[in-house]
Amino acid sequence: MKITVFVGTGGVGKTSVAAATGLARARAGHRCLVLTIDPARRLRTALGLTGAPEEQQVRLDPAAPGELWAAMLDVRATLDEAVRRYGDPELQPRILAHPIYAAIADSLAGMQELMAVERIDQLRLRGFEEIIVDTAPSRHALEFLDKPVAFANLADSSWVKLIGRTYKFVEATGMLSVGRATMEIYRKVESILGARLVSDVLDFYSLFVSIAEGYGERARKTVAMLRDPAVTGFRVVTAPQKAVRDARFFTEALAGRKFRAEAFYVNRMWPYDPGAGGGTGLAGELIEWYRDERSAQQAGFEALRAELRVPLAALPELDRDVEGVADLERIARNLLP
Amino acid sequence: MQSRIAVFCGKGGVGKTTLALALGLRQANRGRRAVVVTSHPLPELALAVSLTGLAARLPEAAKNLFVVHLDSKELLADLVRRSFTMPLLADRIIASSIYQSLVEVAPGLKEFYFLSRLQQLAERKQGLRDEPLSYDLLIWDAPATGHFLGTLRAARSFEAYLSGPLAAAGAEVGRFFSSPGRITILPVSTPEEMALQEMSEMCAELQENYQLRPATILLNMASPVLNATEGQVAAIEEDAANPALRFALGRARLERERAGQVESATGTLVTAVTRIRHTSSDIDLLESLGAQLDGLPV
Repeated sequence: MKITVFVGTGGVGKTSVAAATGLARARAGHRCLVLTIDPARRLRTALGLTGAPEEQQVRLDPAAPGELWAAMLDVRATLDEAVRRYGDPELQPRILAHPIYAAIADSLAGMQELMAVERIDQLRLRGFEEIIVDTAPSRHALEFLDKPVAFANLADSSWVKLIGRTYKFVEATGMLSVGRATMEIYRKVESILGARLVSDVLDFYSLFVSIAEGYGERARKTVAMLRDPAVTGFRVVTAPQKAVRDARFFTEALAGRKFRAEAFYVNRMWPYDPGAGGGTGLAGELIEWYRDERSAQQAGFEALRAELRVPLAALPELDRDVEGVADLERIARNLLP
Repeated sequence: MQSRIAVFCGKGGVGKTTLALALGLRQANRGRRAVVVTSHPLPELALAVSLTGLAARLPEAAKNLFVVHLDSKELLADLVRRSFTMPLLADRIIASSIYQSLVEVAPGLKEFYFLSRLQQLAERKQGLRDEPLSYDLLIWDAPATGHFLGTLRAARSFEAYLSGPLAAAGAEVGRFFSSPGRITILPVSTPEEMALQEMSEMCAELQENYQLRPATILLNMASPVLNATEGQVAAIEEDAANPALRFALGRARLERERAGQVESATGTLVTAVTRIRHTSSDIDLLESLGAQLDGLPV
């Protein structure tokens, strides 16, 4: 089992690099899956993703000795699967129909991170040898490593268990079994946030607590796997203009979580040398624009090379957007081993 | 008296924060009191306008420009402090695990309250701590598309749960965020297909669910060819033997094509913001970008 996690900010072509990596691994004979968050339309088509939550095998021509699969992270479907797989059969319908369940599943905040980890576990159970994970295009991407553990701790906290179970008890008996001081705080909180919100949330958690506990356990195992350098490697993708800033940020953010970046890619480097000549009019302006941009790109790359201590590679920008597997093959040629 | 509010929204990494700061700086330098509000911790560029250097370079802007990071959890803690006059009790509530967990898991609560504070700020009903209440222009550097739409959606679905001190705020937030007169929506995109696609979908949802139409689409990091005529472009094409020029022209052609598509898909005109080269400081960069934003209805 090997996991490669790609991180990087928006617009750097991280998903294409992740997909090209999957392709290279399939060509090397592995059964490999690329888990993406939100690929561009053309890339989605290239990978044969239809929007269905199930993983799809990508057809390769010529055929590879291994297999390439692709899947999109569907937050709702992943959560539904967790409820069906791990929830008490009697409670499942109540959970799935609960208004708070719908709201929680749909509110982006945090759920994507929680479900990415759950999905990695689901895919592991399906027997993929290699999983390549494309994270959300943001500096906050690494939160996908923090939130599951925070959630696991919350699910485990005696308070959630107490309220979850007590609430059920209170509902059944109409009696209160928590301390007077706790109830006083509880009422004050209710007076601010609203009684219906508080009771709906607690009702939901009383149903959900067993699933949350199971989730917490799996999340801890998955994150431990992500932390094991024998299993998981982190690769940073950046664009030339922000190479140094991004690299510093991610090196620090990974190290702070005790992960280590194993490689950096500076993607979308403009490939052609414009030469020294100029031009007149608009053509001159355009070539000047290209030259400026390209030399800024190269300066960014060199600055990064000077301060980085892990493998670094430049990936050229293609003449057009990634449209099919052939374009991914072109990216794959320049990848690090 | 109300402030105008400009909302910079779009995909992550397209330059929302940079353009929001550029607009703020430009307007502040002309004597309008402007505040840039972000919901994420401030990036390095924001430091350029909030720290040393600005006062010496642009004293007028330094006097009128404010940059604040509004954190929903902090805002809610303020609400608790205002609701309970005994500070010790308020602190006990805020520190209690019941409160902490509810704020974390209650769907839409944080998003709703963030928008509510933004609206109160715009309508000058309640200022920020220690800040005056007289901004002429409020600039919201919104989170990336998914989170931005999620914020609007979550806030709206939260309305079902309104009671207590939040109830009164509910109607006002709904009214405010669907009143086109006060809000200038400024979607930002780079000329890349994915960013443009995401932005078009965002515009459709803003229009459909909130009756908000963008004022113009800011096409950031555009090439100098974007504003040229078709004849001028065709003329270069004829003798483009240099592969670098061909590559640049290919990029520029794609940009023009996509700008046209986006204009017809959204029914909104594109404003090109060309890439700024060779600036010696962040303030220079923001100034030259700001100069390109002069036509905006803010």
